[in-house]
Amino acid sequence: MLKIDRRIIFLVIGLCTLLPLLYPVGLPIKISSEVRGVYNHIESLPERSVLFMSLDFDPASKPELHPQAIALLRHAFRKNLRVVTMTLWVSGTGLADQIVTQVAKEMGKENGKDYVFLGWSPGNTAVIINLGQNLYNTFPSDYGGKPTKGLPVLDGVQSLKDVTYMVSLGAGNPGVEAWYVFGKDKYKFEMGGGCTGVMAPGLYPLLRSGQINGLIGGLRGAAEYESLIDQKGKAVAGMDAQSATHVAIIVLVIICNLFYFSMRRAAQQHSQVGS
Amino acid sequence: MKRETLHVRWGGRGELFACVLLSVLVHVGLSVPASAQSTLPAPVEVQVIDTPNDGGASLTVLWAPSGSDSPDARYQILLGNGGAIDPASLKVIAEFPADTRFVKDVKSAWWTREAEKTWHQYVIRSGKDAEIQDGTAYTVAVALLKREDRAMSSLVQATPAPNWFNWNQLNNLILALSFGGIVFYAISHARRNEIFLRRIPGLDAVDEAIGRSTELGKPILYLTGAHDMSDPSTIAAAVILGRVAKRTAAYETELMVPHRDPITMAVCQEITKQAYMEAGKPDLFKEDSNFFITSDQFSYTAAVDGIMLRKKPAANFFMGSYFAESLLLTETGASTGAIQIAGTDSDHQLPFFVTTCDYTLIGEELYAASAYLSKEPVQIGTLRGQDIGKAVILSAIVIGTVLATIGAVTGAQWPSLFLDFFKDVK
Amino acid sequence: MIFLRRQLPLLITMITGLLFAGQYYVPHPASEQLLTSATKWLQIVGGFALVLGVTSLFHQHAAKIRRKEEGWGYSLVLYAGMLGTIAVGLWANGKESLEGAATAFGWVYSYMLVPLQGTMFAILAFFIASAAYRSFRARSREAAVLLIAAVIVMMGRVPLGEYLIPLSGDVSQWILNVLNASVRRAILIGVSLGAVALSFKIIFGVERSYLGGGKE
Repeated sequence: MLKIDRRIIFLVIGLCTLLPLLYPVGLPIKISSEVRGVYNHIESLPERSVLFMSLDFDPASKPELHPQAIALLRHAFRKNLRVVTMTLWVSGTGLADQIVTQVAKEMGKENGKDYVFLGWSPGNTAVIINLGQNLYNTFPSDYGGKPTKGLPVLDGVQSLKDVTYMVSLGAGNPGVEAWYVFGKDKYKFEMGGGCTGVMAPGLYPLLRSGQINGLIGGLRGAAEYESLIDQKGKAVAGMDAQSATHVAIIVLVIICNLFYFSMRRAAQQHSQVGS
Repeated sequence: MKRETLHVRWGGRGELFACVLLSVLVHVGLSVPASAQSTLPAPVEVQVIDTPNDGGASLTVLWAPSGSDSPDARYQILLGNGGAIDPASLKVIAEFPADTRFVKDVKSAWWTREAEKTWHQYVIRSGKDAEIQDGTAYTVAVALLKREDRAMSSLVQATPAPNWFNWNQLNNLILALSFGGIVFYAISHARRNEIFLRRIPGLDAVDEAIGRSTELGKPILYLTGAHDMSDPSTIAAAVILGRVAKRTAAYETELMVPHRDPITMAVCQEITKQAYMEAGKPDLFKEDSNFFITSDQFSYTAAVDGIMLRKKPAANFFMGSYFAESLLLTETGASTGAIQIAGTDSDHQLPFFVTTCDYTLIGEELYAASAYLSKEPVQIGTLRGQDIGKAVILSAIVIGTVLATIGAVTGAQWPSLFLDFFKDVK
Repeated sequence: MIFLRRQLPLLITMITGLLFAGQYYVPHPASEQLLTSATKWLQIVGGFALVLGVTSLFHQHAAKIRRKEEGWGYSLVLYAGMLGTIAVGLWANGKESLEGAATAFGWVYSYMLVPLQGTMFAILAFFIASAAYRSFRARSREAAVLLIAAVIVMMGRVPLGEYLIPLSGDVSQWILNVLNASVRRAILIGVSLGAVALSFKIIFGVERSYLGGGKE
């Protein structure tokens, strides 16, 4: 039993994901301090402040980071902030555009006045450095081809130094860490982050030392944010599935250990009998 | 840093008069009250300086705290052209509660502080209300407001300028140079003396893995990670590849190195070629043993998983930086029964490597690997330098923790003096 | 030749390494301008490097098809996929949508790339479960501690866990914030020192094996 067919495990996990999505339970979600950190900071910003969001993920991380981006944008638009968005991941450009356009349309926001999607520029971390020097040189036009100079949403913004708050939703490199090292550390702006669940424990040192003031980790973080803004979406719906899979993995680990100990005991008894 | 009050060049008689008048006002320390009936004390000892340690286009205003610094009072910062002498011509560019904006709130090192911690500080930068240009003089004043009363400070002039050194980062420079010095000293020490190097089981297994591949007649798969050549972990992975390639050349085992970055591929091709030459088997070297797949994370993962399932390599090496693809790679590798050796500084992926690989080099063990494999004094000396660096950091952590604990338990103030010192020397 | 292959790259590494290490300490606009120019050069060189990569890819798969190696059909799929995507990308001028309507390139992106990448990422959940089943065994006391911590964190990170064991949320938060963060910091300190030492060695030409192995 210790070497169980992997397909049985896959089947269990598949069912644990599928069934709660079909029959949701809706368990209450407790808000963590790290998610509240991002929420509270955005809540404290005056109207028309500039929120800079970098959606640094591709479709692979969509299930976790898409709900985070949606919740953050809804919050920002509701607070009437000016939202400047971009991506450092070329394969995430289309996705980021879809997210921003969808939420802006839903909230009745105007492109160029209330928000702008700058698109993608090659160079990874070099783009961050260039943005810290001059935003208009890095992105002379937005994703739609409109010149960025003169856009009302960028009024008073020359570079990253003029940004009120920055949030990087990153699924890897470049992501939250790159934005801290090449952005915040150099150009001094307040910063929060969002990442996949797997990456979250790795970013706790940044959080604890105050290098970022909040962290939205994985689907759980997105669900917490949706609860905070009181607009429950895909993340809250997915939490039941995540609950079930976590419990399934725990049960599997317990079963595996029970087999392991029973086999070990049997082997010990066998060796005692043999000697 | 450029500091100015009124010592600016003036042209014309009118301006000269204005200058003299303003000088008198400033140097005598008189204030220019906005309202003759004001009972509020005007902000005193106002200094306007070019913001130190910055790229220019910014001025810093400093002034002494006042007895009226209460939440219901407010400060205003006023800005005007260099020649302005009439307070009415200045424009309010900022307003904030009087019990905010202190020097202590500004994140700067103690050795670059321009005033006492209790003083007020406001940094003027270009924005919607003001355009600050380097080399242009500006007149600045501070006003204190409480209900109907308003009292304004003297007018002070300053000119912003860019600086050539950021003194806030002096500690960083000293620490980096000191650490560099330690590393080079340790290298020279290692050249003269024998230095003990503890065993790294993961590296002992390299030979075993290559030997097993040779016995089974199966290839070896070597990955250099997700980052490009600018990342130290990729460089370390490339260095280890050189050693591994030398052994595969000696054992005449096939080596496959799929890449995510074209530049890394080109560098690794050179390294592999050199290794085969050093092993005396240049004819066995294949140009396409290093090949590019794609820079996209999961497309690369799918391709490598495919290689693992089709070619069934007997040994898989995962060196360098990894993200979510780590488990997809190693779990597939484990299912094919290959010996798996990982080495990564991606701490967030360590749990996956540890559970699915036979051996894992954790954190800086990846950097130590090349030293262990080569046994060269340069590499071993570097390790010794790193250990000294770690010992220094460890001592600072222990001393800081003890002092902070003493301060918290006894309520004494003196530990905070030392802690402040530590806080900035980081 | 040895000058071009060894000395010159080492010289360039040393000069640029020192220059840009120094640049970090100089806030003057001239220094910032230098950094901007260098990063732009990096972007341009990186763009050309892609040609190198694509050439290698084409060569590799062309050889497979020519030799009719096992799985050569996949190489044909690769050619078709790559050339097809390039063609529709050029046709749509690199845009996924035009005035709200999806282009052919947008269709490839939304209905091929998105689900395929999503599938790859989703496999992670299955692999985590299978790896956990195979590896999470309390073989020793240390392994038992890890196992218990893992179970608490897994319970504490989902609503069902917190519902069943209310304390698990706070305990898992403590594990992540205190134990996990401190251990990761320790690893980070080690990694950073290693990275700085390696950088020094590269700048001063002490470490040169990345240029193609061997000593002279």
